[in-house]
Amino acid sequence: MKGRGSVKELFVYPVKGLSAQPLVRVELRPGTGIAHDRTFALARPDGGYRPGTRQGLPKQEFFALVSDHRLAGIDTHLDTQTDVLTARVAGHDVLDADLSTEEGRDDAVRFFARVLDLPAGVAPLLAREAGRRFTDAAAAGDGPMNWLSLVNLASVRDLESRTGTAVDPARFRANVVVDGLRAWSESDAIGREFDLGGVRVRAVRQTRRCAATEVDPGRGRRDLPLVSMIDRTYGHRLMGIYLEVLTAGVLEKGGEVVV
Amino acid sequence: MSDLRLRVSGTTDLTPTVRRFVLRDPGGSALPAYDPGAHIVVTTPAGHRRSYSLVDPDGAQPREYVVCVRRDSGGRGGSVSLHDDVAVDADLVVSPPVNRFPLRPSPRYLFIAGGIGITPLRAMVRRLRGQGRTGVRLLYLTRSAEETPFLEEFDGPEDTVHHSDDRGLLDLWPYLAVPDDDVRIYCCGPAPLVRAVQALTAHWRISRIHVEEFAAPHSGMSAPFTAVWAPDGRRVDVPAHLSLLAALRRDGVPVASSCEAGVCGTCRLAVLGGEVEHRDSVSTGGERLSSVVACVSRARSAEIVVGPYDGGSP
Repeated sequence: MKGRGSVKELFVYPVKGLSAQPLVRVELRPGTGIAHDRTFALARPDGGYRPGTRQGLPKQEFFALVSDHRLAGIDTHLDTQTDVLTARVAGHDVLDADLSTEEGRDDAVRFFARVLDLPAGVAPLLAREAGRRFTDAAAAGDGPMNWLSLVNLASVRDLESRTGTAVDPARFRANVVVDGLRAWSESDAIGREFDLGGVRVRAVRQTRRCAATEVDPGRGRRDLPLVSMIDRTYGHRLMGIYLEVLTAGVLEKGGEVVV
Repeated sequence: MSDLRLRVSGTTDLTPTVRRFVLRDPGGSALPAYDPGAHIVVTTPAGHRRSYSLVDPDGAQPREYVVCVRRDSGGRGGSVSLHDDVAVDADLVVSPPVNRFPLRPSPRYLFIAGGIGITPLRAMVRRLRGQGRTGVRLLYLTRSAEETPFLEEFDGPEDTVHHSDDRGLLDLWPYLAVPDDDVRIYCCGPAPLVRAVQALTAHWRISRIHVEEFAAPHSGMSAPFTAVWAPDGRRVDVPAHLSLLAALRRDGVPVASSCEAGVCGTCRLAVLGGEVEHRDSVSTGGERLSSVVACVSRARSAEIVVGPYDGGSP
């Protein structure tokens, strides 16, 4: 029996580890991800990333929520047309940096060195490589680098009702949030093709969760042992799936999902 | 170190609800040393064990421990027992001092005290100023002058004492907007104040932010309630584990928000019926009469009627 649902939300995360930015629609092409998704990252200065690095690196090479929960206390926005990165704290502007200029990149790096409380003289490297994304899946290869991530709200609600705990789906930082499907039916779809708002996709892998999900998205505090909650409840650490885009099309909020 | 048996050698009422207790060794011996930020655990006559900060700055060879206890009749009984059951010459069992809130070296400081949260910060401020230091700024937030212990001590050029009954809550942002690595912030007070300071210093170095939170009156469990959305009369159940904001959103009511920590006020809604338990740190006294910050505050009554907030009276 086919399951029918709809696309509730679409998100792009232009800078790995920083704020989600909602989208209304996104143009997709075979084998590519969402434009501007994780095209910037704050790389660890003593790690594997160097300007020009063309291979996918594991998330531990970057400052991100799994290790640096304070990043979530900053509300950021990257204007993907102009590369201007702004940051707000409780509604107040605290950064306005044009990442297309050296001065703007320096401002941004200084700002995040302070948020991350790095020692004097140490700063993150603002990573950007043409044609590449700093997704977690990039460590598995250039194909996986462009996978979309999807979370099924019914599965999140199932977790909530089994644990009696509120779980904000934003903790999973998915590109595509769907609803109307059966809980966990997305896991059954692994290996199959299906229709995502008019775009043909293949469900390629379930997403194993890390401590990034323990961080309250708005507050920059690690407040919920979500990984161990999922593990205790289901005996695995999975929530959501990765998708490979097979056909060109425009994915929109409200689009029908037929699995 | 084992517990001490100390004698109450004097008490003074600093405000209608805050009493100062002086504890000494019955034989007159010196007591274990401490530094500002330290607390002792006092066993009350009724058997509660409660932590109280030592308020005096010089703990090198103390002859006495001084604590200040606010009588909280809505609390769990510890402070009431100390106020009602302890007179001069009573003996109390007291732990040796413990310091989980130590004063670390810094070129300058910003102390933020909420109510009785002044107690550890007073020891710190007096210690530093006693050394002739400047750059020791204090924001002391209380309800009224009458409810402000040590009020007369804090009228210097680096002191800001703010009474919310007169002027509403103090906007902390001007003090925190520009992060300064040469400043350490020490904050002690009720949970909403501590949360506000943490949220407003998200762009500071975390190593410069030191907080000590004491249990707020509403620190008990959250109870479920029903919210009625006035524009269309729909009834939305708000379970204990969801905020009013989250429950409304799940039911399709769009409510704008930003910080979701009770700090910015973006998700403020008009209250048209029912009683509110305010847990935010942004509302003025007037706003509390007619509105609710949906991300953190809850209903005190079984039902609350809310609607869009237009910036003034509903």
